[in-house]
Amino acid sequence: MPASPGLTHQPLPEPQRRSLGNGVNLVQIDLPQAPVVCLDLWCRAGSACERSDESGLAHFLEHMVFKGSQSLEAGEFDLKVEALGGNSNAATGFDDVHYHVLMPPEAAPQALELLLDLVLQPRLDGDDFAMERQVVLEELAQSEDQPEEVAFQELLRQACGSHAYGRPILGRRDALEAHSPEAMGAFHQRHYRADRCCLALAGPLAGLDLDAALNDSPLSRLPRSEPLAAIPTLQLQPGHTRIELQRLEAARLLMAWQLPGAADQDTVMGGDLLTTLLAEGRRSRLVEQLRERLRLVESVDLDLNVLESGCLVLLEAVCEPEQLQEVEQQVRRVLLELIEQPPAEAELERAKRLVGNGYRFSLEVAGSVAAMVGNSQLWGRHHNLQRPLDWLNDWGCERLSREVIPLLHPDRAFSLQAVPS
Amino acid sequence: MSAAGLIQPRTLPGGCPLWLIERPGAGILSAKLWMRGGSSADPSGQRGAAQLLAGVLSRGCGSLSGDALADLVEGSGAGLRCEAAEDGTLLSLKCASSDAPSLLPLLLQMVQQPWLVSDQIDLERQLNLQTLQRQKEDPFQLAHDQLRQLLYSEGPYGHDPLGVDADLRTLSRDQLQQLASRYGQNGAVMVLAGEIPTNVEELLLAGVTDAHWACQPPQRSSGPQGQSQPAISVSNDDTEQLVLMLGATTTPLGAPQALALRLLHCHLGVGMSSRLFVALREEHGLAYDVGVHFPARLGDAPFVFHLSSSSERAAEATTELLQEWQRLLDQPISEAELELALAKFRGQEALGRQTSSQIADRHALVLGHGLPFDFADRSLAEAAQLRPDDLLAAARSLLAAPSLSLCGPASALEQAEAVWRRHSLSRSQPQPVASSS
Repeated sequence: MPASPGLTHQPLPEPQRRSLGNGVNLVQIDLPQAPVVCLDLWCRAGSACERSDESGLAHFLEHMVFKGSQSLEAGEFDLKVEALGGNSNAATGFDDVHYHVLMPPEAAPQALELLLDLVLQPRLDGDDFAMERQVVLEELAQSEDQPEEVAFQELLRQACGSHAYGRPILGRRDALEAHSPEAMGAFHQRHYRADRCCLALAGPLAGLDLDAALNDSPLSRLPRSEPLAAIPTLQLQPGHTRIELQRLEAARLLMAWQLPGAADQDTVMGGDLLTTLLAEGRRSRLVEQLRERLRLVESVDLDLNVLESGCLVLLEAVCEPEQLQEVEQQVRRVLLELIEQPPAEAELERAKRLVGNGYRFSLEVAGSVAAMVGNSQLWGRHHNLQRPLDWLNDWGCERLSREVIPLLHPDRAFSLQAVPS
Repeated sequence: MSAAGLIQPRTLPGGCPLWLIERPGAGILSAKLWMRGGSSADPSGQRGAAQLLAGVLSRGCGSLSGDALADLVEGSGAGLRCEAAEDGTLLSLKCASSDAPSLLPLLLQMVQQPWLVSDQIDLERQLNLQTLQRQKEDPFQLAHDQLRQLLYSEGPYGHDPLGVDADLRTLSRDQLQQLASRYGQNGAVMVLAGEIPTNVEELLLAGVTDAHWACQPPQRSSGPQGQSQPAISVSNDDTEQLVLMLGATTTPLGAPQALALRLLHCHLGVGMSSRLFVALREEHGLAYDVGVHFPARLGDAPFVFHLSSSSERAAEATTELLQEWQRLLDQPISEAELELALAKFRGQEALGRQTSSQIADRHALVLGHGLPFDFADRSLAEAAQLRPDDLLAAARSLLAAPSLSLCGPASALEQAEAVWRRHSLSRSQPQPVASSS
């Protein structure tokens, strides 16, 4: 079998790694064809790091970072970056947070200086804090007006038990109303630390001398962290529930399964293959059976969420309320069939092509390359861009059947039926 | 652009322009076939036909059944999408360039020899009906649909490309067949970007019964019009937030004042330094999501402010939003603001040219509008010549009479409506329509 089916074999660019004196890891990847450079600063400071009274603080802090630093006024960062033809954004997850800037190459050194100042030395002004709290509360209200999001949140709450993955990243309203700039400052100091941050750079980097600036930067002056309590492994509880939701127009079947955590990248790839085999494209098992043949659903999706404390596979089927029972039974049947009988070679080959091409296509964009290598580096995974394709190729039907397919047994899932009230 | 390589304009035997944009290295090929005649061309009583037809194209064509076609496409790990938008139907293929020989022939086969199996039409119809129903869960969708009614009424842009429930239910195979037989007659263009096979024309024509697919290059022509008079529409929904959409119908892509509006869009709604973001979110904490919607259209494109804010702050949010619109009509933006808007316009252009797929897509769009291949580069040069007064003039002639769409709980609607009634924009007179050139 060819090493990576379908695509020609140009060697992929190699990530270059080094560390600053204080231990901060840097990873750079040269993409000469890309029109922009992506600077991506990652930190192990997602919502799973929050203590019980810190609900929503990780995400709220991500907002507050853009309200200025010791040397940047509120809004000044955005203005400078955008005046240089770039843009920036940030995202807070369960495990980590990252801040990224896309820039024309010639403006990258300036953007780097701005980004490090902004993220590592936030001002956390009291008036800005009160104003931004309103914005976060509006974000929460907006998500609560989407009944589908409410259903997913309820699924995670019930499936994940006491684990942080069961709690909303946006936070609880009462907690958000109680937070103070001081508590946020303490959270920042605890987590935005040399051994918990890394910087990824991707794009046409040749000729950009960023090293000198990095060696004397807020990043190089970050202290190391104090010891922190480990985040426990997820223990997903199988179960079943049914809820009624206002403003829902179609019923939903949502299901969640646990897979090993992101550290096991090989199994993550197996999970990617399995979800693709089951629900990606018209000829995947679930789509073919539920949408095309039985015509029970408007859509059925199966997503792999790669997470450190345990990956989550989430299923969503959209259907008429009266079809809900039948949909759940059919999902069950499809999964049990696959558990009984390993997939055919052609089926696995199809999944490999889809996953492999999707991966190769994503390498066209500097932002997604930076995010991939940055996230891996943050969690101590040092594989290059080729390695995931090798893992992909090593999966066979027998092994998938033995090691991954049983993990999606319907009895291992938590399932939630949501119907219009 | 340094990232774009050799560009070759060609013509397929029946007249369809074919543009090849060579981008070696990544082993990827992206192909776009853009055909004029999207949902705005849905015949009377057949709203949703263009999208339904597009959805059925990949459910069997030429010698391939729907299953065989899906096996071929998915088995190659490729992506194939067929979708109707307001002004056109777009077929999009993205694949490993080594799979091009087996996949490129599908494009014209789908257009010329779709099977249109009744059973598959019924399935696709049912899925579209369900999607229309589910979309009502989203208050933004409700506000958007309502604004579309205000701006375009029963006109060609007056419905969702997915269609309207009653029409969609009655669409027949014959009606779809008729629509399919007219593909290309109003203009079509094909754009390929990436690693392009040497015998590309041969591949594109492989398997078609008639290599002369009669079609013409897309021409400049006037598209659907909108209304411009102040109006309000409200929808009572039991939500936390009030969704506000304030919009007017403007002008087609490439029209004289479209570029000035594009710069206003950058000024108002692009990035975190944009005027609406700073004024409504940063200074008032009124919203998480605030922005401007200004799609490229063949006809009178909508230009829309959108915002969602807690219902108890409905009056304040409405006041601020109207004030921002009024400001556009009252005073020119500053030189510094114009400079920033230009930087964003350039930045967006660069970011929109990262992948083969993006490059093919953008060229297909402008060519489909009957504009020159280098339209984007020309626009960048022309934009640098515009002055603040040009933007003010464009706002005054095109944005003078916006309409307001609201979706939220009754108390919030009442407050917002009262603010609107008191504001002069609710009584504004539209400018006489400028003569088009």
